[in-house]
Amino acid sequence: MQWKTILAASVALSTLVGLHAAEAEDSIAVIVKATTSEYWQWVFKGAEDAGKELGIKIDKLGTPKDDAAGQIAVLESAAGSKPAAIVISPTIFEALGDPIAAVTKAGIPVIVIDSGAKTDKYSSFLTTNNEAGGKAAAEALAACIKERTGKMAGKVGYITAMAGHESLDSRDKGFVEGMKAYPDITNVGNRVANNEEAEGMNFTADMLTKDPDLVGIFADNAQMGTGAGASINEQKLGSKFCLVAFDSDAGELEHLKDGSIYALIIQDPYMMGFGGVWYGYAAAHGVRLPKNVDTGVGTVTKASMDDPKLAGLLDVNKRKLTPFLGN
Amino acid sequence: MKALLNRLPIETYVVAFTVALWIALSLTAPNFLSQNNISNMMRQTSIAGIVAIGVTCTIVIAGIDLSVGSVVAFCGVAFAQMCGHGLGLAPAAAITLLAGLTVGLINAVAIGRLGIPAFIVTLAGLQVYRGLALLLSGGMTVGGLPPEVKDFARGTAALPNLFWTMLAVAIVFHYLLRYTRTGRYMYALGSNAEAARRQGINTFRITLTAYVMSSGLAALGGLLLVSRLSIASPSMANAYELQAIAAAVVGGASLFGGRGTVLGAVVGAILFTTMSNAAVLLSVDPFWEMVLEGLLIALVVYLDNLQKRRQSGA
Repeated sequence: MQWKTILAASVALSTLVGLHAAEAEDSIAVIVKATTSEYWQWVFKGAEDAGKELGIKIDKLGTPKDDAAGQIAVLESAAGSKPAAIVISPTIFEALGDPIAAVTKAGIPVIVIDSGAKTDKYSSFLTTNNEAGGKAAAEALAACIKERTGKMAGKVGYITAMAGHESLDSRDKGFVEGMKAYPDITNVGNRVANNEEAEGMNFTADMLTKDPDLVGIFADNAQMGTGAGASINEQKLGSKFCLVAFDSDAGELEHLKDGSIYALIIQDPYMMGFGGVWYGYAAAHGVRLPKNVDTGVGTVTKASMDDPKLAGLLDVNKRKLTPFLGN
Repeated sequence: MKALLNRLPIETYVVAFTVALWIALSLTAPNFLSQNNISNMMRQTSIAGIVAIGVTCTIVIAGIDLSVGSVVAFCGVAFAQMCGHGLGLAPAAAITLLAGLTVGLINAVAIGRLGIPAFIVTLAGLQVYRGLALLLSGGMTVGGLPPEVKDFARGTAALPNLFWTMLAVAIVFHYLLRYTRTGRYMYALGSNAEAARRQGINTFRITLTAYVMSSGLAALGGLLLVSRLSIASPSMANAYELQAIAAAVVGGASLFGGRGTVLGAVVGAILFTTMSNAAVLLSVDPFWEMVLEGLLIALVVYLDNLQKRRQSGA
């Protein structure tokens, strides 16, 4: 009986650890925050397209959910197989700083994408200016409130997908700062979820129960946007309420179409993956790179969602290479 | 009087606490008793309640099911993909439920026949089914479902459809656990496996029943969650297993087996929904909300143990 237990335990452990072998030298490891999110699949798609053009293998790595310890383990095992470069989006700012510095010290160039880490020992950092994205959300929300209520006044709140994430915190900070430009709009504060769609839905309903005169909500990622959109749709508030959300997954796009979401603040994850791999390849060949690159944000509303210029930003299969957003 | 209080089951206290919370909320939060808020809470509680009823079945036999959250996501994504590929709603739902029952069968075989601890089997399942949800969806949110999918969760017949579904599940499972021989055997197995075996109870059949109930209800939860969100996402139902276990335990289930009721699980789920609703209505700091919910679980289990000790002493 005992061997069965051991066998089962080792099977369970190996599924938990989920190590991937990478081939040396001619590969670039791309480590994302959470493989379960559509956003990171776009990063992978961009990385793979770049890999095809460069003729190198892309190892798509990461933990299913945001998990700093798990990501450090993935980073260390990826570094152990000596890829040409590593592209990583750090899960937690503080936690990934030293591990990234150690990889750089070991002679593997690191390109940081999307979110920062507490170190300057990396080759380049390609990111959305999340604070600017939060500010864009505030502007879109104010525009919507003006459009739908006739005056620039009322109560708004926001939903934070997870606590302690640098990129989300920056978005929220940008949003809160941005809202201060409208003195008659009161920010009633936020709720913090565990990055699960149904929570975004519940919070939206409960926030509206608490403040029935709430005129707008900002949801700071795709999971919260999808949940909040479903709640607004359920309550049939679409044309009266103002919901602005970050990113653009299938759920958010559906709610943009049915009017439950007024605007989406979109980033360019495809170009982060594409650019990250390209930069990693350059760094591996000794090219000195700019330390910080802003990949930009854009605002999409129902009116502009069919604009062919935005098609590739809303559907990764239509993505072609373009300048970084906002450039 | 004191003797009577000691004899009351822990559920009574949890129900009393929940009702007290409701009264306090109706006095402090003006919109708490609004029709809108009550139907919101009914929708919010239903899926968690259904999943918790399933997990209670495994806790009763001194087992555990950590895989339910991932099974909800896996079944939800599978259902959405089948609908998206043109399969009718009814066949897609039937296949999804069948997949859920199969998961329970696999768990029961691994536990009952291969002798692997339930904790390990279902911990592996937690990873495996989340992984399958990701594979089936390519890591992407699955949208574009026919509008009838969301109509169910949005619909009401006096009470929200979701709540009726939970009530129906609760009544059926209450009957199964309380009034059938299988139900009595489940408690017997959970109280003392060796004694149950000596009495000639087919323990594998009972284990199979419990895990199939749990995974089957998780699959139902997956269907309902897709209906509620109008999309399926591989990240949905994150940590539902822990919520379900918390609801069962607060409702009087013992992780050592032999104790736990459907009513308790439902009340536990309602209590957690109330607390999360209250946190928003009373503007409780979101971080304090987590602390308070955790403390509540510890407090209830402590009171339960205290009472059991008194009962056995008396």
